[in-house]
Amino acid sequence: MSGIMKTNDSPSLVRLLVIEDDQETADEIVAEFTEAGYEVRHAADGPQGLALAGSGNFDIVVMDRMLPGLDGLAILGALRQAQISTPVILMSALGDVDERVRGLKAGGDDYLTKPFAMAELAARIEALLRRPALSRETMLKVGSLEMDLIERTVRRGTREIELLPREFKLLDYLMRRPGQVLTRAMLLENVWNYRFIAETNLVDVHVGKLRKKIDAPGEAPMIQSVRGSGFMLIANG
Amino acid sequence: MMSPPAVLSLARLPMFRLALLYSALFALSTLLLFAFIYWQTAVVETNRVDGQLMHDAQFLAHLTPTDLKDTIDTRLMPDFRRVAHAGLFAADGEPIAGNLASFPAHLKLNGIVQRCDVIDAHLVIRAVGLALPDGTRLVIGRNVESLDTLQTVVIHALALGLVPAILLALAAGALASQRTRKQLQKVHETAERIMKGDLRERLPVQGGGDDFDRLASSVNNMLDEIARLMDDVKSVGDNIAHDLRTPLTRVRARLERARESVTTQGEWQQTIDRAIAGLDQALRLITALLRIGEIEGGRRRAAFAPVALHQIAAEIAELYEPIAEEKEVDFVVALDEVPLIAGDRDLLSELMSNLLDNALKFTPAGGAIRVSLRVEGAGLRLEIADTGPGIPPELREAVFQRFFRSDASRSVEGYGLGLSLVDAIAKLHGFTLSIGDNQPGCVIMLWCPKA
Repeated sequence: MSGIMKTNDSPSLVRLLVIEDDQETADEIVAEFTEAGYEVRHAADGPQGLALAGSGNFDIVVMDRMLPGLDGLAILGALRQAQISTPVILMSALGDVDERVRGLKAGGDDYLTKPFAMAELAARIEALLRRPALSRETMLKVGSLEMDLIERTVRRGTREIELLPREFKLLDYLMRRPGQVLTRAMLLENVWNYRFIAETNLVDVHVGKLRKKIDAPGEAPMIQSVRGSGFMLIANG
Repeated sequence: MMSPPAVLSLARLPMFRLALLYSALFALSTLLLFAFIYWQTAVVETNRVDGQLMHDAQFLAHLTPTDLKDTIDTRLMPDFRRVAHAGLFAADGEPIAGNLASFPAHLKLNGIVQRCDVIDAHLVIRAVGLALPDGTRLVIGRNVESLDTLQTVVIHALALGLVPAILLALAAGALASQRTRKQLQKVHETAERIMKGDLRERLPVQGGGDDFDRLASSVNNMLDEIARLMDDVKSVGDNIAHDLRTPLTRVRARLERARESVTTQGEWQQTIDRAIAGLDQALRLITALLRIGEIEGGRRRAAFAPVALHQIAAEIAELYEPIAEEKEVDFVVALDEVPLIAGDRDLLSELMSNLLDNALKFTPAGGAIRVSLRVEGAGLRLEIADTGPGIPPELREAVFQRFFRSDASRSVEGYGLGLSLVDAIAKLHGFTLSIGDNQPGCVIMLWCPKA
C-alpha cells in the first residue's frame, strides 16, 4: 500500500493496538497494517481494550470513540490516569467539532472522523510514531536543503530560495518530517490551522508553488506527491 | 368512517347531550314551579275554607235550637259561596234541618275541620262536626271540588306547556347537534383523506364566519404551512438523492466498465482511484449536510470569543490567493482594520473560505474578485464581488436553500451546499447575508453588527 512506510530505523516491529467493535473496520485496519509490517493486536470491546492498552506494551493505539462496555473517552482517561502515555488516535463517526475537542482534551493525540482513507490513518500513525522532538535547533537540514530558523533563510546547496511567510511555515513543517507522508488534511490542520474541508485543491496549489521554488529545473525533486495520500519531502540530492 | 345507528351517534354528541340536559333541567324547574303554585293555592284555599267553617260552626253552636234551625235554612243554605253543605241531626242520626240526607260517615264531632265523604251525593267535602248541648249534632261542610279542579288545571297546564317545550328543546338540540355532527363528519372525513396522504385537501368553510369557519380557516392555514414545509423537505430530499446518485452512478458505471475491459495493473489502479474519488464526493456531501445540521443546532455559540474579522479574512484570502493566480483571476483584497466582534474563528474562516471558493469557481479566467471589509454604520460590511455569471434577482433568496443550484451552475463541480453553510454560519452569528449585482457578476454582502 502506497501510503504506509515501515519505520526502518527501529529494529523491532511497531506494536499497534486496534480497539474497534465493528468487525469489518477492524479487519481492514488489522490486514492493512499487518501487511505494512506492524505487529497488530485487536480488541473488540472497551474492557478488553483497556486491559490490553493498560499493559503499556504498545507503541500506538487506534481506538473507536464509542465502544461496547466502556466508552473510548473513559479508556483514554483511565490510561492517562495510570501514566500510560502511549499515543492514541480516536476514530469516530461523530464529526462534531465539540466531539473532537473533547477527544483531544481527554488526552487523545489525534482524532479521525469516519469514514477516512486508510492512507490518512497510516500517515497520522506515522506522524505520531515519529513525532519530532521539540528541538532547540536553529537549523533544519534535509539533504542539500537548509533552513535557518533565526535568519529565516532557505537555501538548496548554494542557491538562495526566497519564500513567502506561509511557504516558509509549510517548508518548516515538511523539513521536520522528512520521508514522512503528510496528507492534505494534516497540512491544512497544522500549517494553516484550519479544520474544514476545502472544496478546491487548495493544498496542492500551495505545495505546487513551494515545489517550484525548491526543485529548480534540472535538480532532483525533493517534494514528492504520494498518490492517494499527500506529499513527502525526501532528502534527494 | 363507520356509521353507527343515527340515534346512538346522536346521543354520543356533546351538543345533543347538552340539549338533553337542558331539557331535563327545564322540565324539572317547571315541574317545581307548578308544584309550588299548586301547593300554595291549595293550602291557602283550604285554610281559608277551614277558617270560615270553624267560624261558622262556633257561631251556630251558640244559637238556640230554633234559631239554629232557622239560620241553617235561611242564612247558611242560600249562601252558596260560603256553605255548600249543612245539617242538623238528632242524636239518633235523624236529619232535622239542612241539605245532608245522612250524617257523614267517619266524621268526628270534635270541632276540627276534616275531610269526609258524603256518600249519597258522591262528594268529598271539608266539614266540621259539633255535638250540641241538647244532644243534636251539627255538621257544616264545604265542597272543595274547586281545589280538585285546580289540581286538574295545573296538570293540564303542565301537560300543555311543558311537554311541547321539552319536545321543542329536544328537537332544537337534535337539529343543532345534527348540524354539528355533519360538520364534524366533514372535518373528520377530510382529516382521514389528509392522513391518507392527500395534503391538498382543505376543511370546508361555509362562509358564515362562525366559530366553526374560523377554526376551519386556522386548520387550513396550518395545512398550507405544513404542505409548504413538506414540499421543502421533499425537494431537499430529492436534491440529496440526486446529488448522491450522481457520483455513485458514475462510480458504478466506472467499475462495471472496468470489470469488462481493464487488463493491466495500472488501469486497475486508475479505476480504483477514480471510484474512491467518486465515493469521497458522496461522503463530502453527507459531511457537509451534517455540518449544516450541527451549526443550525446552534450549540457552537458557546464557543464564541472576540475575533478580528479583518485577520480572519486576510488569512483566508492568503490561502486562496495562489488559486486565483493559477486561474488567472485578478484578486484584490481591501481590508480595513475593524473592531473585534464575538464569533467563532473556525466557522468564520469556513464561511470566508466557502464564499471565496464559490467566487473562484464561477469567475472565468481574466475576471476579477474583490474582497473588502469596512466599518459601516453600526456594523461591519464584508463584501466579496466577482465577475462570474451573477445570480438573477429572483434566485437570490433561493440560493441559500440547501442544495440549490441554478441551472447555469449545474455544470460546475460542487455540491451546492456552500451557500447554505454560509447562511447557517451567518445566522448563528446574527449576521445579515444578501446578494447584489456586481454588473457583471455577483456581490455577496455580509453585514455584522458591532458588539
